[in-house]
Amino acid sequence: MTTSHILVNRLVKTYQVPVREGGLRAAMRSFARRTYDTVEAVRDISFSIEPGEIVGFIGPNGAGKTTTLKMLAGLLHPTSGEVRVAGFTPWERHADFLCTISMVLGNKSQLIWDIPALDTYRVLGEIYHLTPAQYQQSLEELVKLLDMSELLTKPVRNLSLGERMKCELVAGLLHQPQVIFLDEPTLGLDISMQSRLRRFVLDYNRRHGASVILTSHYMADVTALCPRVILIHHGRLLYDGGLTDLAARLAPFKLIRVGLSADRVVADSALPIGVEVLQREGDHLELRVPRSVAPAIMAQLLNTLPVIDLVVEDPPIEAVIDQIYQEGASLLKAPSGDNPPLDFHAQRMEASEEKTR
Amino acid sequence: MNHRGGWALIKRSWASWLQYRSFFFVLAFGWMIPPLIYLFVWSTASEPAPIAGMTPPQFVAYYLVLILVNQLTFAQTNWTVGDIIRMGSLNSWLLKPMSPLYNALASEVAGKVVMMAFVVPVSIGLAIVLRPELNATLSQGVFFFIALGGAWLLRFFWGLWLACLAFWATRADALLALQDALIFLLAGVVAPVALLPGVLQTIARVLPFYYMVGFPVEALTGQIASSEVATGFVIQAAWLIVAIVIYRLVWRSGLKRYSAIGG
Repeated sequence: MTTSHILVNRLVKTYQVPVREGGLRAAMRSFARRTYDTVEAVRDISFSIEPGEIVGFIGPNGAGKTTTLKMLAGLLHPTSGEVRVAGFTPWERHADFLCTISMVLGNKSQLIWDIPALDTYRVLGEIYHLTPAQYQQSLEELVKLLDMSELLTKPVRNLSLGERMKCELVAGLLHQPQVIFLDEPTLGLDISMQSRLRRFVLDYNRRHGASVILTSHYMADVTALCPRVILIHHGRLLYDGGLTDLAARLAPFKLIRVGLSADRVVADSALPIGVEVLQREGDHLELRVPRSVAPAIMAQLLNTLPVIDLVVEDPPIEAVIDQIYQEGASLLKAPSGDNPPLDFHAQRMEASEEKTR
Repeated sequence: MNHRGGWALIKRSWASWLQYRSFFFVLAFGWMIPPLIYLFVWSTASEPAPIAGMTPPQFVAYYLVLILVNQLTFAQTNWTVGDIIRMGSLNSWLLKPMSPLYNALASEVAGKVVMMAFVVPVSIGLAIVLRPELNATLSQGVFFFIALGGAWLLRFFWGLWLACLAFWATRADALLALQDALIFLLAGVVAPVALLPGVLQTIARVLPFYYMVGFPVEALTGQIASSEVATGFVIQAAWLIVAIVIYRLVWRSGLKRYSAIGG
């Protein structure tokens, strides 16, 4: 008997998708005889998630994230492989299983448009067989956490996107699920609403010890919430571990920004060995150094140069992720030490040039 | 079975449908028009002499009852089930610890209540003006209510299995339109089934459509004898069982397909 909340073992999902070329003739042909393509949406994925963990599911559009989530929530049958969620096989859709989980989709609503959210909540309370006391307590807690008591009695259609998302979250969590699937919960929300929802997810997770799987294209969601990420690309699991480790593995260097005193010119040759100058703007340098020697180089810079300002940072996570999305598996296959340093800086420069063109 | 959740859903649907009451009133008015036309056609036609033993006030009674029965048995939910399957809204039904059948039943029951708020007063108004003749016995009244319940269930489940074909075909609702056309012809709307020519009448009394509308009406207005009512109940029950069995088969294999290819 395992203690894992979610166990996924060699999960595979293939679809048969009808294909036809454009044009009337192709349409007629496909009417008579359809041809199908096999799409491998999820290919041999395995992982496990412990109670209380928050895990970020990341990957480009069409990577297989939502397909995997739907299999975990019991909406899809896998082609092969094994899934256990809170001790249940999801696609059997056992009532106890459905009471244990919740799936909140950022782009789909379960609220009724023309009536206040409170009416929907009452029905959910009945569907999940909550006692009046449980219902009241759960509702009050969620409403307080999201600071949304004034939204309860307004018809849903009169709410803004962010307000509606708050209502969706309450609807999804009213029955206090232990396993929560959040598919793009911050889609289309403004910055402060995003951070509010992130805080809420974190609060809920701490209070109830619920496991959360989150998919999002906003890296800020992932960095704020998920100590662990699972990266899926073309249906394969490419990486499972800490976000910082992922960045370190893919980008084994740090960026150092140095401000020098104006009265002395420092030639590139005066810099320590191993340092690469990415940019020089007057007295400010942007340097790239191998992660392993960064502390030594920093000490050397401080000792030998007239440093007035020094900032060390990791390459931006968006750049790391973008690199993976574009180059995929090849990046992660190579042993980490041999990875060529990814040229994030150049990439960013190119991007900004593109914009100015 | 999650009856508690189902009942709450009915109440909620009712509340939300009350928001659209004027829409439903217009819809209900639209559905009343064809029977009303045939009410006037047949009562005018039977003025010189009764047709098949039916006088104008009897035609008025027949069609006023038919208007009520047609409204009460019309399964408007089935028209939305296809969309719910196609657009992926079914997902949120499937994530709840409750049979999705409750969602369909809830809007069905809620819709009936809202529409009756319009149809009953209008029918009473028409009855005052048009003076129907209805001499129903107590037993005919009892038969009527049983047959009405059976008719609603039959029309609901028959439409539901057709609607569930949306799991395979994108526009399965065309079949619902066909069902409505057959009801119009064979269930006693265009003319009481008793007035249909020989073969057509036999066909009508065998197929399920008559048992969705015409049967309860005739059971009340006395177009069919008590012995025929008994046979009618047997045939109605048989079709109801067939409809439920087909619905379950279609639903199960449809859901299997849905969960294989995704919403």
